[in-house]
Amino acid sequence: MPELAGLDEGTPLFAQIAERLAEEIADGGLAEGERVPSMNELAAFYRINPATAAKGLNLLADDGLLEKRRGIGMFVASGARKRLLAQRREQFASRYVEPLLAEAARLGIGADELLALVRESAQSLPFNTQGGVTV
Amino acid sequence: MRTWRDIARYHLVIPWLPLGLPWAILSVSFIVNLVIFAFVPQSYHEVMTGHGLVQVADAAPNYTGGVVSIYILVLVIGINSIGRSLPFGLALGVTRRSFYTGTALLGVALAAVDGLLLTGLQAIERATDGWGVNMHFFQVPYILDGPWYVTWLTSFVGLALLFVWGMWCGIVYRRWNLFGSMTFVAAQVTMVVAAVLILVWADAWSGVGHFFTGLTAAGLTGVLAALAVLLLAGGQATIRRATV
Amino acid sequence: MTQTAISVTGLTRRYHGHRALDQVSFEVEAGSIVGLLGRNGAGKTTLLRILAGQEFPSAGSVLIHGAPPTENEAVLRRMVFVREDQVYPDFKVRHALRIASWFYPNWSPELADALLADFELPPGRAIKKLSRGMRSALGIVIGMAARAEVTLFDEPYAGLDAVARQIFYDRLLAEYAEHPRTILLSTHLIDEAAGLLERVIVIDHGRVVLTADADDLRGVASAVSGPVLAVDEFTAGRVLWDRRRVASQASVVVVGALDEADRARARSLRLELSPLTLQQLVVHAAAQQANTADTLERTSA
Repeated sequence: MPELAGLDEGTPLFAQIAERLAEEIADGGLAEGERVPSMNELAAFYRINPATAAKGLNLLADDGLLEKRRGIGMFVASGARKRLLAQRREQFASRYVEPLLAEAARLGIGADELLALVRESAQSLPFNTQGGVTV
Repeated sequence: MRTWRDIARYHLVIPWLPLGLPWAILSVSFIVNLVIFAFVPQSYHEVMTGHGLVQVADAAPNYTGGVVSIYILVLVIGINSIGRSLPFGLALGVTRRSFYTGTALLGVALAAVDGLLLTGLQAIERATDGWGVNMHFFQVPYILDGPWYVTWLTSFVGLALLFVWGMWCGIVYRRWNLFGSMTFVAAQVTMVVAAVLILVWADAWSGVGHFFTGLTAAGLTGVLAALAVLLLAGGQATIRRATV
Repeated sequence: MTQTAISVTGLTRRYHGHRALDQVSFEVEAGSIVGLLGRNGAGKTTLLRILAGQEFPSAGSVLIHGAPPTENEAVLRRMVFVREDQVYPDFKVRHALRIASWFYPNWSPELADALLADFELPPGRAIKKLSRGMRSALGIVIGMAARAEVTLFDEPYAGLDAVARQIFYDRLLAEYAEHPRTILLSTHLIDEAAGLLERVIVIDHGRVVLTADADDLRGVASAVSGPVLAVDEFTAGRVLWDRRRVASQASVVVVGALDEADRARARSLRLELSPLTLQQLVVHAAAQQANTADTLERTSA
C-alpha cells in the first residue's frame, strides 16, 4: 500500500511522486546530472503502478527539471535546483506568510507583536539571519 | 491437432486411472471367477467306447459374463472425462469443441487398444481350454464368439459406445447437475420402455425379434456403431452451451 | 499507438428474468492494470466469466484484441482467468502446473517455482486437500506464471492472509514491470490494491456506475467534520453526499477537489478534512448509482 511509504489519499499519486523528487532535488539529495530512480524502481518502492510513477517523472521532465537520456534513464537537469528554489521563494508568501498573518489576526496579534515573535524564534532556532540560500 | 494431443495428455496426466483402472477391475473379476471355477467339481458322464465304459469330463463351456466389468468402467471414465475434467480444461483456454473432440478421440483410441487386448486374451482362453477350468470369461455367446477380427470390432465399438455415452452423461451433469443427469438417464430409460411398449402394441415384437436374430455379430456391431455416432452427435450438441 | 485489449459494448446477461449485467460498456487499454470494483453480487464474476468465454452473453458484444472470445481458441490462448472457485480433477498441485505449462505459450517454470516457494505451496499435495487459501495461491501461481497477454483475476485472494496478499501484490507489480500485460483485477479489498490500479471500473447491480483513472479519484471527495455551523458555512453551495450529525457536531462528504485555499479556510474554521479513500468512494458511488459519474464530472469542471 502506497500509504505505508507516506503517500496520502488526497492528491493524485503521480503528483506526489513528482513533488517528492522535486523536494529531493531542492534539498540537494539528488545532484545535478545524477540519475533519478527509474519508474520501475519508484513503483517497487512506493508499491504503485509503474505507469503512475512514469507520469510523475514525465511531469518533472515536461517542466524541464529532468532530462531523458534514451536507453539509460532520467537525470537531473542542470539548473533544476536553482529553479525549484526560486519557485519556492515565489510561493513562500502565499504558503507561509499569508496563513501566518491570518492566524495572527484571528488571535488578535498585531504586526509589531508578530515581528517581535519572529525575531525571538529566529534567535532560538538555527536560522541564517544573513539571508540567502543555505545548504 | 496439437490441441487434441495436449487434451489427451491432460486426461492421461495420471496414467493409471484411465489406462489401468478398467484392467484392474477386470483382473479382480477374472480372478474371482477363476477361483470359483477351480473349486467347482468337474462333472463326468459315461461313454461307451471300444475299451468299455469310460468316464469323460463334461465339456460344456461355462460362461461368466464377467467381462462386462470393463465396459462399465469405461462408461465411468467417460463420465469423468467431462464431468470432472471440463472446468479446468476450459480454464486452460481450450474451446468446448476442441475439448470434446480431443476427449472423444482419446476414448476411441483406448477402445481400439483395449479391444485388441480383449481379443488377445480371448485367443489365449481358447488355446488353454478355458484357462484349464473350462471357464469362458472373454468369450460371450453370439457376440464375442467368432473370428478374432469380429471380436475386436465388436469390443472396440462396444467400448467406444460406452465411453461416448459416458461423455454425454458427463456433459449433462455439468449443465444441469445431478437432477439433470438423473432426468437424462430417466428419459433414456423411458424412451426404451416406450419403444418396447409401442412394438408390443403394434404387434411388431416378433418382427423385431426376427430382425435381431437374423443379424450376425457383425450386423449387431453395425447397429451399435450407429448408436455410438448418435450419442456422439448428442454430446457435441449439448456441450456447445455448457458453462463451468 | 495504444491498443484496446478489451472492448465491451452493451453487455447484458439475464438469468430467469433477473439481470446480472445490464448494458455494460467499457474499454481496457492494452498493458494497463484496471480494477473491477464493486460489492459482492454486483456482477463482477459474471462479467469476467463472459470475458473468458466461460459464460455466454444474452446481448451485447465482447472483443478481446478485436475478436470475440467465445469458442475462439486463438483469443483464449492469449488469456488466463484466475477464479476463486476453480474446480480441478483429482490432481496434485504439480499435475496442475505441468498441464498448465502445455497450454500457456508464455509459461515460465522458474516463476511458477518461485511463487510456489513464496506461498509455501507443497507441490505433492492433492488439490482437494488444500485449504482455501492454498487453493487461491495455486490459482495465483498459474495465473501469473502463464504470463498471458490478458490476465483476469476474480478476487484471487480468498482465504489468503494479509501477508500472503501483500506477496501477491508485490509479485504482481514486479512481474508487470518486467513483462507488461493487460490485467483486470476484481476486488472488494479496494484500498489494499489502490496503488496498483491505473484505472477503475465500478459496478453495482450489474451496471457500470463509474469509470475513471485511479489517480483522478484521489481527493475528489472529502469528509468534512466539525461544529455544525462551521461545516454548513464551509460546504455552502457544494455538492454533498452523506450528512451525519450528533449534537453540535456534523460530518458531511463534499464532492469536488479542495485546493490550498480551501484547506486553509477549513483550518481556520477548525474543521477536520480527510479525503475519501478509493474504497470509501466506491461505497458512495455504489449508493449513488449512475449519478456518481455525472456528479464527479460536474464538480471537476
